[in-house]
Amino acid sequence: MTDSSARKRTGGFLSPRQLERIRDYVPFVAIALVILLFWAISGDRFMSVRNWTFIAQQTPVLMLLAFAQLMVVTTGSIDISIGSSLAFSAYVGALGMLWLGDGGLVLGIAAGALVGMCNGLVISLLKIPSFVTTLAMLIIVRAVVIIISDGTSIYMTDGSVSGGTNISSVAAPWLLSLGKFPAIFVAAAAVAVLMWVFYEKTLFGQQLKAVGGNEKVLRLVGINVTAFKVKVFAAAGVMVGIAACVNLARAGAATPQAGLMIELDAIAAVALGGTPLTGGYGSVVKTIIGALTLTIVRNGLTIAGVPPSWSQIALGALLIAAIAISLNRSKVDVVK
Amino acid sequence: MRNSDPPLLEVKNVSKSFGGVQALRSGSFELGRREVIAVVGANGAGKSTLIKIVAGVYPPDSGEIRIKGRPVDLHDHSVSRMRERGIEVVYQDLALVPNMSAPYNLFLGRMPRKWGIFADKRLMRDKTREVLDQLNVRTVQDLSRPISDLSGGQQQSIAIGRAIAWGKEIVILDEPTAALGPNETGEVERMVEEVRNKHGTSFIMISHNLEQVQRLADRIIVIHHGITSQEFKRGKATADRLVKAITVGI
Repeated sequence: MTDSSARKRTGGFLSPRQLERIRDYVPFVAIALVILLFWAISGDRFMSVRNWTFIAQQTPVLMLLAFAQLMVVTTGSIDISIGSSLAFSAYVGALGMLWLGDGGLVLGIAAGALVGMCNGLVISLLKIPSFVTTLAMLIIVRAVVIIISDGTSIYMTDGSVSGGTNISSVAAPWLLSLGKFPAIFVAAAAVAVLMWVFYEKTLFGQQLKAVGGNEKVLRLVGINVTAFKVKVFAAAGVMVGIAACVNLARAGAATPQAGLMIELDAIAAVALGGTPLTGGYGSVVKTIIGALTLTIVRNGLTIAGVPPSWSQIALGALLIAAIAISLNRSKVDVVK
Repeated sequence: MRNSDPPLLEVKNVSKSFGGVQALRSGSFELGRREVIAVVGANGAGKSTLIKIVAGVYPPDSGEIRIKGRPVDLHDHSVSRMRERGIEVVYQDLALVPNMSAPYNLFLGRMPRKWGIFADKRLMRDKTREVLDQLNVRTVQDLSRPISDLSGGQQQSIAIGRAIAWGKEIVILDEPTAALGPNETGEVERMVEEVRNKHGTSFIMISHNLEQVQRLADRIIVIHHGITSQEFKRGKATADRLVKAITVGI
């Protein structure tokens, strides 16, 4: 099929391939427009080094959670338990540090992997849709965090002050400095590079897209999709665990309320990056842009003095607009 | 084939039920080397069930399958196992992953690794080009595009290429040209002949197109109400005779 015949068939000025190329740039154009808009509205207050340092500190946790979501969404599933999983992982990581010292933080990543693996096992073995499974897990894991924490938080300190008898605290100055710019930015950039290699270049990454493209075909050629899905959710759980460690560093505390509703932001970041929630396609770079766009809009609206409720409306509208423009409808068979 | 050689594939009295429904009562046929056979029957006669048992999709309830005289362990019956034993299937819907490239689809389930975790994309591209050349398919230029961007005939050539790329001895074609136009159908038939002549591959074909079956198949197996009831050699059955065998079973 030539481009000109395709143009005639679609009845437009552009061929589907040209349209697809333009759609590829939507997340980049969107973020440029958002920056220009808030620059015009708030001027130097928005474009100050201080504000951009703040944005660079705010984005990493959302970006890492969006990576976790990207893996799952690419296979055509969804994980709405990542907010609760973040709180659980951070709390288990903090407990690990209390019990075992600095190395105990690894338990936080293991906890994220465990939640992800449970999700994957329930979805694959019991054939319960990912939305329902992870919704249940969102509720269960949040309850588990509240039970094990008894509603209390564990604080990270720089070692100069000790907590009272009723306050659990861990002296972890290295972790607190990791939560500050530029360390948090460098750490997030390193994970982003690894994620790009993992998603775009490895066999695992290719298989993520193939499962999202046509899972039945993979089963027909003898690929064990059930086991693969468990691995995908476990890998996403590892990423949530890493995000939890970064969040612990950034917030300086593991709280039972951490990550409330953040799963929606992660899904929004993935969608703003042009990844169809039906699976099969995705981009790490554009997911980073999606997470950054979301953070900038939230930041810009706050600086512009827009009340939080109106900010939420603006964010929702932005999400619909970005997806409406970037979605390639020819690649989406059914919209449910 | 020497007379003493066992057939490439022997299927004897295989049966399969789904719940209370007997989809296949007794399926039997043999397939020789370099042979093309066709399995024909009315809708629901049991063709697809028979073929899916041979492909390893379903284990049979009873019966026997032998490959080169060796019995297949039906307790260890799976698509992967049958692929290892040299049986590939080109499904009616082609079983391609639409968002992935031609090389990825060709290597589906057999991805070559580089450094343990990476896909060896250069090897995949080269092999895909080689397979398409073997099939005399010159129209697929850009191998990086998703397969959904290719025409029906081009997609069919990738599906057939996948079946023959690994030196497979038996290729099952499930309604290979049902969704294709006349030109693309001719192209697929040419590919089947070419692969048979060049590589010595044997084919089992399911088709409702009796003209095509008569053109391509050395033998035609008729399946009626779940039983392989009759067999015709090439040129020994008119279309009317085949229709009668398919519909009435005599």
